[in-house]
Amino acid sequence: MNSNTYILFPSHSDGLALEKKLKEESIKYTISPTPRSLSECCGISIMISPEICHTVESIIKENRDIRISGIHTIERKSRDWFK
Amino acid sequence: MADYRELWESLDMDLEKHDELCQVLPEFYGDIYMTQEKRPEGMNYFNFVISEIHGLRIKELNEHRKNGKKVFGSFCVFVPDEVILAADGIGVGLCGGSEFWVPDGEKVLPRNMCPLIKASVGAKISGTCPYFQSADMLVGETTCDGKKKAWEILEDYIPMHVMDLPQMKREKDKENFKDEIKIFKEKVEEVTGNKVSAESLKETIKLVNNKRKTLQRLYNTRKAENLPISGKDALLITQVAFYDDTNRFIDKVNELCDELENRIEEKVSVFKEGTPRILLTGTPMAIPNWKMHHLIETSGGAVVCEEACTGTKYFERLVDEDNEDLDSQLRALSERYMGINCACFSPNDGRIDDIIRLYKEYNADGVIYNSLPFCHTYAIEYKKVKDALEKEGIPVIMIETDYSLQDAGQINTRLEAFFEMINMNKELAI
Repeated sequence: MNSNTYILFPSHSDGLALEKKLKEESIKYTISPTPRSLSECCGISIMISPEICHTVESIIKENRDIRISGIHTIERKSRDWFK
Repeated sequence: MADYRELWESLDMDLEKHDELCQVLPEFYGDIYMTQEKRPEGMNYFNFVISEIHGLRIKELNEHRKNGKKVFGSFCVFVPDEVILAADGIGVGLCGGSEFWVPDGEKVLPRNMCPLIKASVGAKISGTCPYFQSADMLVGETTCDGKKKAWEILEDYIPMHVMDLPQMKREKDKENFKDEIKIFKEKVEEVTGNKVSAESLKETIKLVNNKRKTLQRLYNTRKAENLPISGKDALLITQVAFYDDTNRFIDKVNELCDELENRIEEKVSVFKEGTPRILLTGTPMAIPNWKMHHLIETSGGAVVCEEACTGTKYFERLVDEDNEDLDSQLRALSERYMGINCACFSPNDGRIDDIIRLYKEYNADGVIYNSLPFCHTYAIEYKKVKDALEKEGIPVIMIETDYSLQDAGQINTRLEAFFEMINMNKELAI
């Protein structure tokens, strides 16, 4: 299954704090709008490959000041809006 | 997740209807933007801006207003941001680029008019755009008949100020526009309660020039043989320029440019070799109108430059910074803004010169003339542009399309034929 892991945050500043850590550790990530299926609130999440989920989880554990509101792995879907 | 519902409610928004928009936007952006390969890492900031498009920036505008400051919404590259910033105000671009707002616009406007106007008016009257809801005043201009009359409808919903933009470029017109900027300055002073001084205007002229220089730096990277960034991403950055915090925007785009310039040195390209390079010219593309770029870049082309309001018209040429008194500063502002070659002017030969110059500067292979339906000035101007380009041997096609998704198949077919013709020309030239 082709999937992505999304890390959700209670506020954008937590997301940016984790982004900083991931950048320092040279971990590949993408800032992403939170998929609607995961939350009804607009805002950012951080998308990573499911393979590195453990590494990122341990970074989150080490940095207790970074609050997250969930980690979810979902199937990657895309549709062609112009067809 | 940050919950912005309370904030939206305080802005008197239609939460239920706004939620319909929230249901679509993340997926739409994800499918159009995040499926691109080899995107620069610096685009993460713009992913952030789009993810927080109705959140963080709105919160910032709200905090600004809580401190007694004002927000001005505008629709056009002729409204001088320098003046708003000099009075400690914030200017935000408000054009509507989504089909979502069109039906609400059609409740008060005729159906046979440009989708940009219908969407902009629809966004306000439906109460689903937090930017409109955060503005203390809207600033319109007289660039076309549709907008000019739409302001008369909008003023029933929100205070409006309309700038009279001359339709010719004689000396007296530049003088008139200088007067218009002065009248606008007085209006901004009245609304904000802050005087615009020569000192503050000098500062903000420099600041907005820096923003222009940053965008010029970005666009310069698109002149490279190996394109370090897609046209779609570059368009997004220009669109974001209209409402992001100016200093933060400058910093983030410069960071991205460092990365892009490295990519050029390392010959990294987001397109495969030989992809036809397209100069797009025509009407503005407001967020989230990414349609033409998406269709071009998924049909085998690459957009290397936009000769449009959401493109070179926004940032080419700087305002002269070496003026110490208000009168000379207003004259310098008028000089710069009246140098924009918008199709509202008659004659507008400068635009033809711009298109040919940009075609050469960006090493383009063809020109796509893009017009929104019912935009008379741009549609009529195609004849002169086409004649001039044909004389130069530059391939050009005109594509007229609105925000809807239905005509994509037909446009794809035309684009593929156009790119095939360009590739054949290239082969014959070898």
